[in-house]
Amino acid sequence: MKRIEVKLSLPVVAPLLDLIKAAAGDLGGQLAAPQHLQDLDEELRTAWQADLLGGQNDDCRRFLALFDRDFFSSGTVSFDEDNAESVLRACAAIRLRLRGRELKSLPDEAIESGGVDVTHLNEALTKAFMCYVFLATLQELIIQHLDSAILEG
Amino acid sequence: MTMASARTGVAPASRTETELALEGLWRVVVLNDPVNLMSYVVLVFRKVLGFDEPTARRHMLEVHEQGRSVVWIGVREKAEAYVFTLQQWHLTARLEPDEKD
Repeated sequence: MKRIEVKLSLPVVAPLLDLIKAAAGDLGGQLAAPQHLQDLDEELRTAWQADLLGGQNDDCRRFLALFDRDFFSSGTVSFDEDNAESVLRACAAIRLRLRGRELKSLPDEAIESGGVDVTHLNEALTKAFMCYVFLATLQELIIQHLDSAILEG
Repeated sequence: MTMASARTGVAPASRTETELALEGLWRVVVLNDPVNLMSYVVLVFRKVLGFDEPTARRHMLEVHEQGRSVVWIGVREKAEAYVFTLQQWHLTARLEPDEKD
C-alpha cells in the first residue's frame, strides 16, 4: 500500500488547528457546498441531504483524527489509500466553509489567482487564509502522490 | 362530482406527466465554484465519471471559464447517482432535464 508521510512544522500548523476544527464543527449540521435539489421529491431530498451530511461528518472526523497526540509529538501525518479520499473531501468541505465565512470579504479573483497579499490582512483573516492554503497544500500532496490509488480504489 | 371520482379522473393524467418527465433524458451539470482546486476537480471527474485525463481537464476548464459544464446525459436514475456522488465530493452539481432547443 502506497503511503506518504508529511512532516509539518508544529509551530506553524498547531495554531491553525483550532480554526480548522471550529470550521469543521460549524459544518456539523450543514452541507459545505450549495446544492440544487429542487428536481427531487421531498422524501428523496431529505434522505439525500442526510446521506450527504453523514458522509461529510465522517470525512471531517477522519481528517481531524490525524491531528492526535502522536501528531503533536512527531509533527507527522500519514496519508494512504484508506484515508486519502476522506481527507481530500474533508479539506474541500472545510475550505468551502472558510471561504463562505471567515474569508467572505476577499474577492474571488484574488483568491483564485493567488493574489492575496497577506501583509494587508488583519490577524483573523491571515489565520483563516493560512488554514485555507494549508488545506489546499494537503490536497495537492495527496493528488500528486496518491491519485492512482484513488482512481483505482 | 365526488372526491373519489375526481381523483379517478385527475390522478392518472398527472402520473403520466410525471412518468414522462422522469423517463426523458437528464443532464448532470457541474457549476463553477471559486474554492475547489483545478487538480481536485479533474481528479473527481476521473474518479466519479470515469473520464480520461484530457476529457476531465476539458470539462474542468469549461466549468472554470463558462461557469458550467454538462458532464453526462442519460436516464434519470443514473444521472441522480452521478449528481449525488459529485455532491459527496463537494462539487456543485445539479440535475436538469435534457431539453433540446
